[in-house]
Amino acid sequence: MATIPQARLRNFSIIAHVDHGKSTLADRLLELTHTIDARQMTSQVLDSMDLEREKGITIKARAVRLEYPAGDGLTYGLNLIDTPGHVDFSYEVSRSLQACEGALLVVDAAQGIEAQTLANVHLALAQDLVIVPVINKIDLPSAQPALVMEELENVLAIPREEVILVSAKEGTNVGAVLEAIVARIPPPKGDPDAPLRGLIFDSHYDAYKGVIAYVRLAEGSLRAHEHVRLMASGAQSEILELGVFRPQLVPVQRLGPGDVGYVATGLKSVRDCQVGDTLTSASGPASAPLPGYQPAKQLVFAGIYPMRGEDYGELRDALEKLHLNDASISFLPESSVALGFGFRCGFLGLLHMEIIQERLEREFALDLIASAPSVEYVVTLTNGRGEVHVDNPARLPAPGDIESIAEPWVRASVVTPSQYIGTLIELATGRRGTFGSMEYLDAQRVLLTFELPLAEIIVDFYDQLKSRSQGYASLDYESIGYRPGALVKLDVLVAGEPVDALSLIVHRDRAQADGRALVEKLKELIPRQMFEVPVQATVGSNVIARETIRAMRKNVLAKCYGGDITRKRKLLEKQKEGKQRMKRVGSVEIPQEAFLAVLRTGGAG
Amino acid sequence: MSAGPPVAFYVHVPFCLSICPYCDFAVVAGRAARRDAGRVAAFVAAVRTELDLRADGLDRAYPAGRPALQSVYLGGGTPSLLAPAEVAGLLDHVARRFGIAAAAEITLEVNPGRADRGDLRGFHAAGIDRLSLGVQSLHAGDLRALGRRHTPSDVVDAVSEARAAGFGSVNMDLLYDVPGQSLASWRSTLDAALALEPEHVSAYALSLDDPDAEGLTGPFGDHLPLRRGARAWRDRARGSQDQDRAAEQYEAASDRLAGAGLRRYELSNWARPEHESRHDLAYWHRDPVEALGPGAHAFDGDSVRRWNAAPLEPYLAALSPSDGRPAGLPPGGEERLDPDEARAEAAILGLRLPEGLDQALLVDPALEPGLRWGLATGLLVDSQGRLRLTPRGRLLGSELFMRLLPAPAADPGGQARRGTATLIAAEIMI
Ligand SMILES: Nc1nc2c(ncn2[C@@H]2O[C@H](COP(=O)(O)OP(=O)(O)O)[C@@H](O)[C@H]2O)c(=O)[nH]1
Ligand code: SF4
Ligand SMILES: [Mg+2]
Repeated sequence: MATIPQARLRNFSIIAHVDHGKSTLADRLLELTHTIDARQMTSQVLDSMDLEREKGITIKARAVRLEYPAGDGLTYGLNLIDTPGHVDFSYEVSRSLQACEGALLVVDAAQGIEAQTLANVHLALAQDLVIVPVINKIDLPSAQPALVMEELENVLAIPREEVILVSAKEGTNVGAVLEAIVARIPPPKGDPDAPLRGLIFDSHYDAYKGVIAYVRLAEGSLRAHEHVRLMASGAQSEILELGVFRPQLVPVQRLGPGDVGYVATGLKSVRDCQVGDTLTSASGPASAPLPGYQPAKQLVFAGIYPMRGEDYGELRDALEKLHLNDASISFLPESSVALGFGFRCGFLGLLHMEIIQERLEREFALDLIASAPSVEYVVTLTNGRGEVHVDNPARLPAPGDIESIAEPWVRASVVTPSQYIGTLIELATGRRGTFGSMEYLDAQRVLLTFELPLAEIIVDFYDQLKSRSQGYASLDYESIGYRPGALVKLDVLVAGEPVDALSLIVHRDRAQADGRALVEKLKELIPRQMFEVPVQATVGSNVIARETIRAMRKNVLAKCYGGDITRKRKLLEKQKEGKQRMKRVGSVEIPQEAFLAVLRTGGAG
Repeated sequence: MSAGPPVAFYVHVPFCLSICPYCDFAVVAGRAARRDAGRVAAFVAAVRTELDLRADGLDRAYPAGRPALQSVYLGGGTPSLLAPAEVAGLLDHVARRFGIAAAAEITLEVNPGRADRGDLRGFHAAGIDRLSLGVQSLHAGDLRALGRRHTPSDVVDAVSEARAAGFGSVNMDLLYDVPGQSLASWRSTLDAALALEPEHVSAYALSLDDPDAEGLTGPFGDHLPLRRGARAWRDRARGSQDQDRAAEQYEAASDRLAGAGLRRYELSNWARPEHESRHDLAYWHRDPVEALGPGAHAFDGDSVRRWNAAPLEPYLAALSPSDGRPAGLPPGGEERLDPDEARAEAAILGLRLPEGLDQALLVDPALEPGLRWGLATGLLVDSQGRLRLTPRGRLLGSELFMRLLPAPAADPGGQARRGTATLIAAEIMI
């Protein structure tokens, strides 16, 4: 593969609200530059995880090198870094943007600017990236490119002359996008003769080549068989291979400043080669590392437990493996009276939690049970005994030891057609939120901002937002720090036994309603047992809600002849399996779903 | 338990005038079920070919001869849609190839409707001596809710025709836990049924399982896929089933039927002395049973259960090929029980009978934990050397039965097991 001079490199990301067409546009760019021939072309090439394809969302950023013979007769090397579109992954987006000089901003011609459009543009501008605005889906009958251009101009001060109108699906005008990338995005800076500095932005483990680090070189250059050092971990090795992503790994002889590629380090542990570390030369090392990344901030925590206690070791191994691939999860061993031994895991958001849980179950064939998600509270202890961080409601200190509790707050941005303003303000204020501001994007659509406790939006705020706005409103949020709150712990007793995995921290004023909703939900989810089972919600020693699950009256198969015998035996086997998938707490069998019951009690929604 | 030649014989007749939404049997309706469409006659010819092929197989397996059958059962579907001459021909054929014992029980299932109960006199003359009536309810509202074609007065007429034709043994199938059915209306159904003096009553809770989800459908499956309307009906009906009501209805049936002198000789079956269904007892005792027709299940008396696939046309095509090829056995599959499964199955079937199980089974390491659990929870009692279900056990039997089954193999959803069944089925096909 030919070496392309630095002046003809372009590094860019595609940013967009989910579903506005990032992955489709990336496919077209790959096709148009013959990076992938038509035979290999599947749609959404860069979404290689099954889950990404199924859920239709990009979860992990990915890089690919395109070679583009531009209108000026020269061939350019374009490094495209695809980014996830969901609010949970804005951390991943900002990491990708750090490797770029420009970003394609894709906006759906029928939907217009959405909450993540704004959030992503702000991330890009914060890094001084050149923005190439693209309005996509102009083939749709409902496309209103003129209106979207007006929004871009009003809200983001993007001049309409700069906007490129395309249909990624039909390939219309995608060539103009490539030309704009070449013309508008500057080449990477960086002195090729300076000591080598390359930022590790991702990595994976290969059984033959060891840790493969994904790097973007800031300065210096790198050749095959050079000896390298990782500045933070101190690990050294002779590199076995280097190359670029097309999107599969293709070896090259040299990487220079601005290049994005991979390095087969030969290192045996991903720990030696962490994301954010700086790669330098062992012989002439740089004097200081690159700034690196802010560590990912987990916002949502939940206990993850194996259904069968003996799978604990496997769960630990699986979490370790996933962590190598996704540094944004955290996990620490914990134990629960109800669920046994497991891990307290931290996630970027609820979708992230769902994805990790699904990956653990699918890729590692584990049967898991997850407790209700929680945020991290900061508890100030009495008598000047300092602060403790609590991400598991069951671990909240006794009321007498608590001076005060603070919880994380976020600023939420909601973009919505104006007819839903009322109901959305009601939703946010019902969730202890305060209204911040309202700005018209165009005649019909507004940007609302609120401040809300994070705990109030991780549950089903997004679903509520969607259902109240018939799917039209979009949401983004960013952390704005901790604020004190009148919070109490709600405990649940099943058949008189406290079930620690069901404890919740709630606002004092809402304890009664939440407790009631929770026990009602549990009554629905816990099947009738051989005996009557009381379910109680308590705050301290006060029972604030109680339901009784009546004893099972009848469970016996009616007919049993001929062919029924086999069938009925199998139905019994299935019932038996179902029972084995439940968790025994005392003498009560509780199904997995019950532990997530709190997710769906709905609160004020 | 040991494999042996069949002592009972079942034929599945897969036609009904219309299909009830809760029905799980292999049944076709509409044009195919009308005599003039030729499917009924084609079926009768095909089933007689199957009879010969099965008999040939058994002749090879038991060259020293086989005992005569103790029971022949024509079920369905609506076998009363057959003409008496067809029934007579079939029974004659069974007698020739299998032998029918002099005292054998010979049952025909009959739908009570005027249009489908057929010529009861003719059936009696053809050799049938026991009728099983698909009554389901004697409450017009229940019958409508269930999508049945007949009315309560059809039932009364059917019974008097049966008596007039000379039938001395009549069963009525009844259903409870039916959407919209109250405890009171169930009691009145029981009373109205008892007023007709049946020798035998089967009372079944309406069960609405999902053959597709259970993996029972498909080209080798023993069930037909659910039609969309039936699926919607079931989803709705399931919502109005209620285990509390069902428990009370079962208790009401136990009281009323016992009061009328019928003895419960299986969890869902009651009979006057000497009128217990010998055919059903063969299933419950795990005796060897031969079975013909789409969706029918045969059992070797030990560990092999074989079935014919449910779809009618492939059945006919295999047995009556149109292209001059020789007739072959229809598509289907078989299941082989391992000894633990077989013992558990025998125990479950045994506990459904009033005799219960021999207490000696408590030393069987596979069954012991489940049986002890049953004793501890009061679902079982140990009396006079037998383990029997208590009244509570009769209502919560499945809680005990599932504990008697061996731990499910580590294949979520039973995929692997279904896989083998299909594979075997494919081989049989070839
Ligand atoms: N009509 C039309 N649909 C498009 C176009 N581009 C993307 N889509 C569709 O929009 C949906 C979301 O696209 P995708 O590329 O997955 O969006 P992403 O979430 O931003 O990666 C998919 O169903 C695409 O087929 C376009 O130009 N026109
Ligand atoms: S009459 Fe019986 S066999 Fe026929 S469709 Fe109805 S339930 Fe099924
Ligand atoms: Mg995508």
